[in-house]
Formats: sequence, structure tokens, C-alpha cells
Amino acid sequence: MSVAFTRSTAGLVRAQLQRLRTSHLSSTPVASLSVFALRSSFSLCASSRLYRFRQTAAAFSTSAIPAKDVTVTFIEPDGNEVKATGEEGTNLMELAHENDVDLEGACEGACACSTCHVILPDNIYDRLPEPSDEENDMLDLAFGLTDTSRLGCQVMLSPEMEGMRIKLPSATRNFYVDGAKPSHH
Amino acid sequence: MFSRSLRVLGARANRRTLSACYLRARGLSTTLNLQTESVTNHNAPVGESITAQSNVMPIYLDAQATTPLDPRVLDVMMPYMTENYGNPHSRTHKYGWETEKAVDIAREQIANLIGAHPKEIIFTSGATESNNTSIKGVARFYKGKKNHIITTQTEHKCILDSCRVLQEEGFEVTYLPVNKGGIIDLNELKGAIRPTTVLVSIMAVNNEIGVVQDLKEIGKICRENRVFFHTDGAQAAGKIALNVNDMNIDLMSISGHKLYGPKGIGALYVRRRPRVRLEPIITGGGQERGIRSGTVPSSLVVGMGAAAALSARELDYDYQHISKLSRRLIDGIQSRVSHVVRNGDPNHIYPGCVNLSFSFVEGESLLMALKNVALSSGSACTSASLEPSYVLRALGAEDDMAHSSIRFGLGRFTTESEVDYVVDNVQAHVTRLREMSPLWEMYQEGIDLKSIQWSQH
Repeated sequence: MSVAFTRSTAGLVRAQLQRLRTSHLSSTPVASLSVFALRSSFSLCASSRLYRFRQTAAAFSTSAIPAKDVTVTFIEPDGNEVKATGEEGTNLMELAHENDVDLEGACEGACACSTCHVILPDNIYDRLPEPSDEENDMLDLAFGLTDTSRLGCQVMLSPEMEGMRIKLPSATRNFYVDGAKPSHH
Repeated sequence: MFSRSLRVLGARANRRTLSACYLRARGLSTTLNLQTESVTNHNAPVGESITAQSNVMPIYLDAQATTPLDPRVLDVMMPYMTENYGNPHSRTHKYGWETEKAVDIAREQIANLIGAHPKEIIFTSGATESNNTSIKGVARFYKGKKNHIITTQTEHKCILDSCRVLQEEGFEVTYLPVNKGGIIDLNELKGAIRPTTVLVSIMAVNNEIGVVQDLKEIGKICRENRVFFHTDGAQAAGKIALNVNDMNIDLMSISGHKLYGPKGIGALYVRRRPRVRLEPIITGGGQERGIRSGTVPSSLVVGMGAAAALSARELDYDYQHISKLSRRLIDGIQSRVSHVVRNGDPNHIYPGCVNLSFSFVEGESLLMALKNVALSSGSACTSASLEPSYVLRALGAEDDMAHSSIRFGLGRFTTESEVDYVVDNVQAHVTRLREMSPLWEMYQEGIDLKSIQWSQH
């Protein structure tokens, strides 16, 4: 119950996002949980279902599966560090948006751009499954690519990522050289 | 003005003839001859030169420098130089769509030549750019963790220079020696690989002596040690069978004008599985997977694709034709001229590249003597510098043999009669030059040339 109400603005944003997602839901039962669930654009629905189940579970406080919170730190290009806590299964891009971190997400998680590019620490990167060809193709276009780069919208939070420090690259493929910042939807 | 020219002509003239006559009356040419009129030629010879003015061109035996454009390739390119001029990256109109489709077809043709997937082909301005991008790009991307590169002493200058530049940036480079035949020792390669090695770059077919390295074995060693394998395939693509998957090649450079295509275009094969990441040297709008930004030159690309398709189809035929001519040339020369050495291991060599050293004769003088044959000594890239070929030095050839080498490059369009003419001329001129040579005289008298102390001057 507490999850949606402890943080004021983040919670409101998340509730809004959740409402948007529920409008597309089908009524099929929830998919099973997996720890390092890699999201592709096709499984967006599945995780939304998972989300709704969580919300319902949290509301009734009688869930069989505990909703785990994972705390990570985003390091923005100017050095500013933002601590963010999210539920297991949230993707890093969403988590960043909820916490007002300066991470763009132009295609909103459809794996069609490279603006949510994040740099993960070596140990976490090695333990994640290989990125798909589509994700790799999009990553090729990212600015400031490293060998531990991933698309934030394709990496889901898991308990193993507790305390992970995520670095943001200094720029994206969108040319905001004038200092302009993209607006979040 | 017009009335003056009319009076000069004294006849009724219509508009068309009037404009031409007007120009002629003014002493202006009626054609736009940009090459000769708008630029002063500071290199024009002072006196009259019969050969410079004659229309006869020498026999072309310099296929490693460049190859003539196959007429079938020109046919395919023409529409893209006249009517279909759209930018292939224009997503919004038919000019763009048509050109993009043609570029995609060319990409597939080049991919098929080397057994790759079309998405793995990146278009560049030539093999030099492809070599620069792959070596500098891969090294700089993995800079934090790995800093060692392995290459050979006989690579093309663009690779050696890229490695030297990286050494300035803090990388370590191992230049593997070659044996007398020009082949690297695989055990030496294995021994040179360290945990910090990121890339091995070994060319498939050498441009000066034509030796073919054992790509399959090298690829296997690199894959086992998880090191990227780059090969400069400029002289190999379209001439010998290549398969990037069988040979475990991760990066390959291809040159358009070495396979009867246009100049100014090349390709770089970059493996997608497992993915090879590199830092691009030309950045911008993210074209060509972000590896090489810039408008893709559709007419050149279409030409290169057609050249690749033709080479793939005619590979066996060309190889047999060139092998026959090569045998004819070598046997002809060696049977009629003594003390001729072929540089390069004859069991691992591409027949179209024949590098011969004629003892006691200076290479440049033989080249000039064979004025009706277009040849080269060393490679076109080293012709501007005065050093003897570093490739021949790596083979262990002494300076005198390195200076007396000539490279005969046979191609798809070379004929038997051309080869026969060359053999006759080589025999005649080598004999003549040896008669003039003091070294030949000393050798005939039985003096051991290696025992002589030449005075420095």
C-alpha cells in the first residue's frame, strides 16, 4: 500500500503512467515473474499487466508475491547524483522519469531510438543477458557509447541491482547543444 | 553587337548558328573544356614530346594500383549519374526511395561477395578510410580495458600509419615479422597475443608481392583468444574466395577500384554477431549505423555493387585466366633471362601479382626502358618516397634486390599477346641494361659482390 503514496510527485506520475497503460490492457492473467526480465516492445503489455497486478496487490495488501523495492543512483553528466527507488521490474528509463532525472526517452520505450542510453557498472552489465539485435542496432547510434552501455528502457530493475550506480552519457543523438532540455510527457 | 556579327557572316542566320558564330567571332570555344582551359598546367613539359602527344596508351600491367572500370559497371552507374540523382537518405520522396533501394541492392551484392549480412556492410570512401576506421575505431572504443594491437610488417601504409598514430596515443603495437616467403608464423602470432590485445590486423593478399595469408587459421586463433580479427581485403575481394564466417573475420576493408569498380568508394564489413563496437572517425547525422556519417554516394555505391556481383559470378573464370597468363609471364621471363627471383612464397600467392627481382639491374631504369608497358616497382603508395619497399625488406631481401624489383599486375582484361610482348621486351631490355651494368661485369669476373666495401659518399 505504501509504495504509491510515500513519494508525492513520483507517485502521482507513476499513477498517471499506470492509468495510461491500463487503458490498453487485455484481461488475460498476469505473466510469471522473472528476475532479469528483458523487455522488448512486444512484452510491454505483459509488464503492464504485472504492474496492474502489483498495484492491485498493494491496494489489498494480500499479494502472494512481495513487491521488492530496489534503490539505485543515477549520476547525471554534471555530476549531480539522484537516488531513485523503484519496484522490481520497472525499467530504468521509467524510473529516471519518475525521479526527474535528465534522461530522454524520445520513443517512450519502443526500442526505436538511443536517447535513454545509460552506462552500467561492469559487474551488473556482465550479469545481464545479451542485448537483442534491435537494441544493439539502436545503441550503435548512441553518443558516447561504451562497452557497458545499455538502453535504459530495455533493462528492468532487479534485486541484484541494489545500490547500482548508473552513469548518464554527456549527450544523446538529439542535438541540444544550446542547453535546451527535452520535455517529459 | 549582334548586328556586327551578322554583317561579318553576311548571311541570314538563325538563333542557334548565331550564338555559335557569335562565340567563334569572339574567339571563344564552343565547348566547355574545363580540363585544359580554366586551369594553368604547371607540370606541362617544356619541349615537345611525341609520347605525351600520341594517342597510344601503354599496356596496362598495374592491376594492384587500380583496375579499369568494367563497361558493365559503367552501364549500371549511368542512370544514377544522370536521372536518378536523389539523396538516398531523403525519406520523403521518390528520388530518395529509388536511390535508397539501389543502395540496398548494392549492399547486398557486396555482402554476398564475402558471405556477410547486408546490414554488416558500411560504405566508406575507400579501403584507406575503412582501415583507418576499423583500427583506430576499435582501439579507441576499448581503450580503457585493452591497449594492445598486433599487425604485420608487410601491411599497407594506411594500416601501419594508423598503428603508429595509436602508439602516440598510448597503445602498444606488435609488428609481426614474416618469413622469406612473406607468410607470418602462426605460433608467433599465438605467442604475441596478450590478455590486453584488442585487435589483430593481417591483410589477406599483399599488394606488393601478392602473398595470401592463412586467414582461416588466423581467424581461429583470434576467436579462441577473444580478439577481434581485421583483414585488409582490398586486393583479395573478388579475386579469391572469402567467407567472413568460415574465416572468423570480424572486420574487413574492401576497395571499389581494385575490383573493376569506380574510384572513391569502398566498404567496411563490421560483424554484428558477436557485435564489434567502434568509435567512428567521421561523425554527424548517424548514417551507416553511426559508423560513417555523410551522404552515401549512390552512383559510386551502385557501381561498386555491380562490380562485386560481377566478380562473384566470374571469380573462377578470372582466376583461371589470370593464372594462365601468370604462368606464361613467369615461365617466359625465367626461361629467357637468368638471375630472376620471384618475391613471395609461390605456394601461397595470388597469380595476378607477379613481383620479380632482376639482379644487377636497377628497377627504375628497367621501368623506364619498358616505356610501352605500365608497370610499377614497389607499390604506387611508396613511389612518392625514396625509400625502397619495406615489404621487400621484411622478406629479407637485401637493398640491391629490393631496388631491382618490378611488379607485374595482371587483370581481367589482360591478353596473351600483351604478356608475350612484355616478355620479349623484358628480355631485350634486361640484357641491354646488364651489358651496361658494372655489377654484372664484376659478377661475371667471379667477384663476390657481398665482399665489397662500398665507400660512403
